[in-house]
Amino acid sequence: MASVAAWLPFARAAAIGWVPLAKNPLPPPPFRTPTHGVSPSSPSTSTTSVTATTVGERRCDEKIIINVSGRRFECWRSTLEKYPDSLLGSNEKEFFYDEDTREYFFDRDPDVFRVILNFYRTGKLHYPKHECIAAYDEELAFFGILPDIIGDCCYEDYRDRKRENTERLIDDRLHEDEDKIQPKPQSIRETMWRAFENPQVSTMASVFYYVTGFFIAVSVIANVLDTVACGPDPETGYPRSCGERFARQFFCLDTACVMIFTVEYFLRLYAAPDRLKFVRSVMSVIDVVAIMPYYIGLFMNQKGEVSGAFVTLRVFRVFRIFKFSRHSQGLRVLGYTLKSCASELGFLLFSLTMAIIIFATVIYYAEKSVVHTKFTSIPAAFWYTIVTMTTLGYGDMVPKTWAGKLVGGVCSLSGVLVIALPVPVIVSNFSRIYHQSQRADKMKAQRKARQTRIRLARNATSNAFVAAKKHREQHADDANSPADKNLVNPFELQHHHLLQCLELTTDREFVEMGPDALMNSGGRTSFTAGTNNMTGLSRFGSPSSRLLLNRRRWWCCGVRTRGKNSYKYSTDRANNNNNLNTDGNELDAELDDFQLPLALTPRASTTLLPQSTSTNVIQPQSTPIVGSSLQHDVVLHSNADEPLLPAGDRFDLNHPLDPEYRSLLSRKANSLSTVYEHGSGQDAALGYPTFLYAQKRTLMNKKHYHSECHVGNSPIVMLLVLTYMPYIVTQSILYLL
Amino acid sequence: MDEYSSSVCYTDFDDDGLETFKRYKPRSLDELASRTKFSKKEIQLIYQGFKQECPSGIVNEETFKHIYGQFFPFADTSSYAHLVFATFDLRASGCVTFEDFLLCLSTLCRGSIEDRLRWIFTLYDTKKSGKLTQEDFYVTIRAVYSLLGNVSSPRYDLDTIREHTASVFQRFDKLHHGYITMQDFMSFCLSDQTMVQSIDGLRTTV
Repeated sequence: MASVAAWLPFARAAAIGWVPLAKNPLPPPPFRTPTHGVSPSSPSTSTTSVTATTVGERRCDEKIIINVSGRRFECWRSTLEKYPDSLLGSNEKEFFYDEDTREYFFDRDPDVFRVILNFYRTGKLHYPKHECIAAYDEELAFFGILPDIIGDCCYEDYRDRKRENTERLIDDRLHEDEDKIQPKPQSIRETMWRAFENPQVSTMASVFYYVTGFFIAVSVIANVLDTVACGPDPETGYPRSCGERFARQFFCLDTACVMIFTVEYFLRLYAAPDRLKFVRSVMSVIDVVAIMPYYIGLFMNQKGEVSGAFVTLRVFRVFRIFKFSRHSQGLRVLGYTLKSCASELGFLLFSLTMAIIIFATVIYYAEKSVVHTKFTSIPAAFWYTIVTMTTLGYGDMVPKTWAGKLVGGVCSLSGVLVIALPVPVIVSNFSRIYHQSQRADKMKAQRKARQTRIRLARNATSNAFVAAKKHREQHADDANSPADKNLVNPFELQHHHLLQCLELTTDREFVEMGPDALMNSGGRTSFTAGTNNMTGLSRFGSPSSRLLLNRRRWWCCGVRTRGKNSYKYSTDRANNNNNLNTDGNELDAELDDFQLPLALTPRASTTLLPQSTSTNVIQPQSTPIVGSSLQHDVVLHSNADEPLLPAGDRFDLNHPLDPEYRSLLSRKANSLSTVYEHGSGQDAALGYPTFLYAQKRTLMNKKHYHSECHVGNSPIVMLLVLTYMPYIVTQSILYLL
Repeated sequence: MDEYSSSVCYTDFDDDGLETFKRYKPRSLDELASRTKFSKKEIQLIYQGFKQECPSGIVNEETFKHIYGQFFPFADTSSYAHLVFATFDLRASGCVTFEDFLLCLSTLCRGSIEDRLRWIFTLYDTKKSGKLTQEDFYVTIRAVYSLLGNVSSPRYDLDTIREHTASVFQRFDKLHHGYITMQDFMSFCLSDQTMVQSIDGLRTTV
């Protein structure tokens, strides 16, 4: 991510557009930028001489050294030139040539580079299975190699992983869109629809959700109990079912349930954005099928159980149980699996049918000669075949001849095989889809936390600037300041100078952001006079109207902390922070994007006060952290694994860094595996973002996470509603009848 | 699943998913060194940074905005980045190649003061009409303010921006034509010493 620093000159150059607009004159540059006496002619003369020699050298094959993040690869030039369209094969690699060491330096992953270099050597591109697909793709893109030349041996694996990754990205984007585009609902219809789809949105929605679930259960249980024997009929002495004995009560219950279902159905129909589509959807059909029998039964005459149609209608009542699929995600997953495995199921069915017909025919003809045989026809033999193939073996039909027994044996063996074949496919499909849905839920929960972290990191950048400014003002007349300037990172200096120019152009000042601003901030602001309303949606913010809800969600749904690769705990730290888990890696990845100014700031700032131990805030891992300010302890993401690029080299060839500082930097980079920072008031002057880090830590400390937070005191409300509502409904019906 | 079956959506993915990416690589380093005012080493550094962010060798507007966003926390960089992108995109193709980028950067970092003023004029001239009106100034100033984000104090609003526009436009439009041509712009800026110094102050060592 140090490449962002490489774009700073561009950002600064583009900033000259502000100059004519500036209200105040802009500050002088942070350090003397020498006028570049490099005339256009001199580089070219030197290069022409170089090219003269290199052209001569290129005639015969020479070994070239490629240094990828420290690992040196050597190969013949002709090997690389086999593929002139790629980076290594063309003269694009000259951009990476280091004159001093006479090698090509690439700041990339050496492991993947090995694979890429092998491609040049052997002509086959392999995909290492342990590699992340996104990282691999990035490397391929960097070196200009198209992925579709991956060899056959690794191609399938690559495609599968790529497909999974893309699916995941699509899912993420979909959910991001879902989260983002939630403007305030315009009408009652929209509110209702959202309540129906997402029961966690409000208390009312949850209540409705649980009430309907309860009534579905009640209805199904009533259907079942309807048929249980309840004691003998006083008149005829025959046992009769509960349905007959308590006919009126069951009827009331049924009416109550159907009323609720009807109301629910019409409400959904009203709220649906696209009514036609809703009517054709599966859940709607199930709803209709669940309640129609009742109404049809009402309009028909009460003939008792005589008419077959009436009985059929009763049977349809059991479809109410499918309404549970709105309540249960597992059921939906199952349904979706079956739908997506339609081809496998079809194959299973087809092959079974084929086998059944074959075996039934054979056994019919085999048993035809037996007297009083049960195998009266081929369709009659179907039953035997099915029972045998599924290894049920009821024993109501048994072959008596030896031929029949033989056929029966073969039948049962083949049955096992045919059924066992498609089942694993279905199971794996189910597993994949189920895990997908689990992951989607988890991601939704973590997304909000992730966005907070991103916002925190950005916050820290701006706060670093403000703090540095304050420090500069405070120490403006301090004799030490020129020395300090030498030690502070030139990138940071120039970046701060850029921000200063912006301030002066617009005659405003950057301020430190408080914790409230965490929730308010984002990209776009609306320009209402004097207020800081956030209308519209930024990339990370949410409308202020939903702030309250979101705030609650954040502070009750914390994030699991993680990063066993990034954090190594000293013992003291472990004792203090036994709350922290060490799994999951998203925090680092997120902060990676924004870590450049951040990581450089503290590291550079360590050298500001190398001697003062009283407020020395960054210590290497070996020394334990003592002090009363431990509660402000903050963990920064450390990218100490990457070598810290000596910033001077990158930015100012004519203004070399103090070699002492440079060695200090590199030592720090190599020794530190965790960067700690005490936060306290006076440290703000030294340029450390303070209390925000403490906040970040609080967030990170929360160990638990759950996918959805229930709002408010809903359980109690729900309990009350559940106990009283059915009672009220049934009583009212009984009263009416 | 259809939207009526609640939140989780599954997609079936078939095997045509490989995106083709355009890859662009610049011509030789020597040629670039001769055409621009950078030394070879500087071009190497710039290219390494460029390639890290845009491995395909082409920047599009999205990436531009993202990069700008790294430098200005909490800013909505889309408007200013759009303006800058328009000046870099010499062929109005929506993509900036490394060569375009380097040429513009060379003008901006190492060019003469006139070249830079000319670039600023192009930046403001959003409609490419050759003349700057108050509308152009308004758009640009608004873009610059949006770089602040909402972390500034005192806060600003549309009125502030309009005032600022009006005052700046008054300063430039001495003859009250209602528009400013390139000549006027250049002569005005060159006569203002502070402006020249400020522009020089934004040189960066690469």
